[in-house]
Amino acid sequence: MFEIVATLVLLMVTFFIGNWLEKRHYADIREREHRLREFPVVTFKTIPATWRVESSQLAQGSVVVSVDYFKRFVAGLRGILGGRIKTYEPLLDRARREALLRMIEAAKSDGCDAVINVRLETSRLASSRQGGKGTAGVEILAYGTGLRLAQ
Amino acid sequence: MKFTPRTPREGINVSDVHPLAEAATLIAGLSAILVAIALVIVFFVDLVILFLPPKLEARLFQNLVAEQLLSAEYDTPQARALQGRVDSLAEQWPDNPYQFRAGILLAEQPNALALPGGIILVTNTLLQQAESENELAFIIGHEIGHFKNRDHIRQLGRAALLGLLAAALLGQNVDSLSGSVVGLTMGGFSRSQESAADEFGLQLVHGTYGHVAHAWRFFERVAEREGDLGPFASFAASHPSPGDRIERMARLAERNGWPLNGPATGLDGLR
Repeated sequence: MFEIVATLVLLMVTFFIGNWLEKRHYADIREREHRLREFPVVTFKTIPATWRVESSQLAQGSVVVSVDYFKRFVAGLRGILGGRIKTYEPLLDRARREALLRMIEAAKSDGCDAVINVRLETSRLASSRQGGKGTAGVEILAYGTGLRLAQ
Repeated sequence: MKFTPRTPREGINVSDVHPLAEAATLIAGLSAILVAIALVIVFFVDLVILFLPPKLEARLFQNLVAEQLLSAEYDTPQARALQGRVDSLAEQWPDNPYQFRAGILLAEQPNALALPGGIILVTNTLLQQAESENELAFIIGHEIGHFKNRDHIRQLGRAALLGLLAAALLGQNVDSLSGSVVGLTMGGFSRSQESAADEFGLQLVHGTYGHVAHAWRFFERVAEREGDLGPFASFAASHPSPGDRIERMARLAERNGWPLNGPATGLDGLR
């Protein structure tokens, strides 16, 4: 009985905190995306012919995310029936956008004018619990080639 | 090629479903599926029991239960006296397929148990508190009634399969589960199962003694003590309230014309 009550309380608390953090994060992401929308970030491998490149460098940004208790609980239920794990979708969406934003911000602060050949990669962080079979979190890495252009 | 500044589009990678709605849908759906599976299990167990002869049941369970799960006394003079009472009661059940095995369980609560394989256990406390053979006979008769309706094996089957289902879902290991299966097996039967067992028990008592006097004296004493349940608590928890039972049995005796007066038989050799 105590375990059930503890679980319910934990679910409620983690839902409200997680929801609040998510809203705040999305607001922050949207604001930065809007502010940085003029910065070209493209997946081209080759430099467009009209660009005159002064120098290039690696541009990268990464995010490590973890799941909250509530999301993991709901995803666990979803894991029985299958289907879209809807509670994880916003989490990974935020992580991808945050990683891109960090990459852009890093490139910008290094004086870059654009990033080309942008790629996204994901890796899972193993948890020390459950003999390393569990997932402690996910890293999303955004990287590309930052270019400084001559005016 | 023209570069158009633009923020990412929303709503492509994220489903527009409130997380609580998602949780509610999943919980409701899974509960419905679980209830359906549990019903199928209950139905399946009932079906299997139809085809499980008591002889096979005895072969499967008697030694297991008697020797491994509960340590009761089977070979003391007291236990042999109890066996005699059980046998003579069972004679009143014309096509009894069971070979009952009676034992005395050392426990602080007055109680009696019917276990798969035809085992009837009575606690030493019940023997001490019984005032006549008649009331003990009714309690044993009640347990025999559970065998007649095959309540114990039904309970075991349900508990084992539902336990497996729970283990599969909760990821609990099956070892620690066998304990709770035994717990469930000895836990309550439904009210209608208890009533049916009462009815059969009383019928056996009437057949043995020719009257049903004193049969429910034990429950009358429990009812008198309702205020302080004390040592009766466990018996009360797993059985219908003694007041209801007494009334129902009195009506039953009246309906069948079973005499309500008669001598009490002593408890020779049972104490």
